[in-house]
Amino acid sequence: MRLSHRFRQLSSTFRVPVMVMLLMATVSVVLSERVLNRLSQNQETYLQGLAGSYLDGVAASVSPSVLRRDNWEIYDALLRMKPQKASVLPRETVVTDANDIILASDKPEAHPTLELMDSAFRREFEGIHIRLDTDSELAFQIRPINHRGETIGKVYVVFDASSLLQQRRDVLLALLLTNGLLTMLLAAIGFLVVRRMVRPMQILESHLQTAASGGLEPISSEEFPKAGRDAKRIFAAFNRLVSAEKDRKELVDRLTKEERIASLGRVASGMAHEINNPLGGLLNAADTLRKHGHREQVRRESIELIRRGLLGIRDVVQAALATYRPERNSRALTPRDLSDISLLLRSELKSRLQELRISAPRSSDVFAGLPAGPMRQAIMNLVLNASKASPDSTEILLTVDRTEDAFCIHVQDQGLGLPEGANHILTAPINSMVPDVKSGLGLWVVRQIADELGATLSTQSNMPQGTIVTIAVPHRQSEVLDAAA
Amino acid sequence: MKYRSELELVAVPLWNGKPLYQSYLIAKSDRDASRLSDLRGDIHAFSDPDSNSGYLVTVALVNENGFGRETFFKKTLFTYSHRNVIRAVASGLVQSGSVDGYVWEVMREIDPDLVARTKIVRKSEWFGFPPIATSKRFAQTDQIKALKRALLASSDTDAGRAMLDYLRLSGFAVADTSLFDLVSQKIESLRGVL
Repeated sequence: MRLSHRFRQLSSTFRVPVMVMLLMATVSVVLSERVLNRLSQNQETYLQGLAGSYLDGVAASVSPSVLRRDNWEIYDALLRMKPQKASVLPRETVVTDANDIILASDKPEAHPTLELMDSAFRREFEGIHIRLDTDSELAFQIRPINHRGETIGKVYVVFDASSLLQQRRDVLLALLLTNGLLTMLLAAIGFLVVRRMVRPMQILESHLQTAASGGLEPISSEEFPKAGRDAKRIFAAFNRLVSAEKDRKELVDRLTKEERIASLGRVASGMAHEINNPLGGLLNAADTLRKHGHREQVRRESIELIRRGLLGIRDVVQAALATYRPERNSRALTPRDLSDISLLLRSELKSRLQELRISAPRSSDVFAGLPAGPMRQAIMNLVLNASKASPDSTEILLTVDRTEDAFCIHVQDQGLGLPEGANHILTAPINSMVPDVKSGLGLWVVRQIADELGATLSTQSNMPQGTIVTIAVPHRQSEVLDAAA
Repeated sequence: MKYRSELELVAVPLWNGKPLYQSYLIAKSDRDASRLSDLRGDIHAFSDPDSNSGYLVTVALVNENGFGRETFFKKTLFTYSHRNVIRAVASGLVQSGSVDGYVWEVMREIDPDLVARTKIVRKSEWFGFPPIATSKRFAQTDQIKALKRALLASSDTDAGRAMLDYLRLSGFAVADTSLFDLVSQKIESLRGVL
């Protein structure tokens, strides 16, 4: 199981040659088995024929001597008939009478004349067919000697079959060597072919991995393979994809800048409004002081008026500074940031008689690890979108809480529900679309920020009280961001 | 000896300078046997039923020692050649054999490996060497006389010496028929037995 799992983990460059080797090894085994089986059959047929001829000759030759029980003639005939040049030579020949009493043998010392044949030797001869014993490399066969339909004796022959078995070993060795070389050759060819085949895929994989880590680059012309139309087509398609993605990114960057400028404009407008209001009071107080400054009561009230106006201007300026000062990205979100958002958007909301109600813990610990800049931008955009979706004279609800897993911000509007396009921007599995003006750039920027922070966006219909948009930053993610900061 | 009255001697071979030879009882060289009685129960090889040294001498010996001719040996067989008797004994086909002493000695030179696998159990008394004989009708013909002269003078010529060397003989001599009386006696002793 683990082996097969490991095998699957191997790259195709190795897997295919290994499979070729396994396939070839299987074919080799089957082929070798068939060849050797066929060779064995042929050899046994050959041996059977050879033994049959020899035994026929011996039986015919010694038959009269067996009848006369002439031991010498039988012995002499056995020696005379013994072949000297053959691939399979008889090693021992024993002639007995019908009762297995030895009449003569070409090895009389092993088989004494007129003795009963050794039972162990007799047991080697079973059946009428030749028996090949591969361990001892001997073949055994028996043939009765008949005379007028009666068995008068028997011929036992032991053949030396070592040459036949040596042939089998030679054939097996030749098969193993040939198949082994072929297997290695095919595996090597398989390795080279597959490596050549997967080379374009490796180039593509390398570029995709680079793209995944942010370095989307087209495949250079040098990397285009010299052969392989399919690979060229895939590379060209990849390059078109890279080109399109770059265009999209440029467009997105441009839109983001435009949105920031637009957002800045709105904030600047709000700031101007917020500063302009106390300015009128300040000018009036200054005029009053100039005309009636000698009066203690008037002077005190005017100065107090001027002080309140200046404090209001200071708050607005501080909020703007907190939003746009350069170090904002490296600071953690605090409850004060939520107040700033309220202040900055107050003018925008007031124009529509709307009110932002914030429900958040007072402790800064709740916000630990959340970068202030992106979070402020995201919350501001969600509130502005909620304002836009809600009718005049309604309330926008900003709720901050912390669950076991994540830090959550909920923005609830009083609108008629989130348009499908806006919902898609926030919650689509892959953020690949470029927003149109209708869908709103604000929400698209929120999605960008959420993706950067590893946060998830969700929408929940709260009809008839509008929609709740939630941005949830996992604790682990927020801790990483905190550490990075 | 069977046709003695119809034959006349031409010459007798001389072996080691004498017109005599022996019959050997032989057995396998590794066997512990030194007398006839040690061969009891053997399968015994004779050379030929008409041979003196290869049959008659041993049968007479068995008879003289009071052993039953039919029962002393387990089985007897004829190989129809002294050389085959040696082969039969050397191979182990039979346990003992009766062989011409002259043939055994010559074979020891020619085929020492074969003969080395046998040993002499008993040598018989000396008998007249099997002679060259002719029918009495042709005894006085020029051809027989020429043959006799050639045999007797064989040691004087190169061709004759080559022949004698080949046969491992030292020459030929004229001999009296009395030389073969011992053979006759053996045959006589077995009359009624064979």
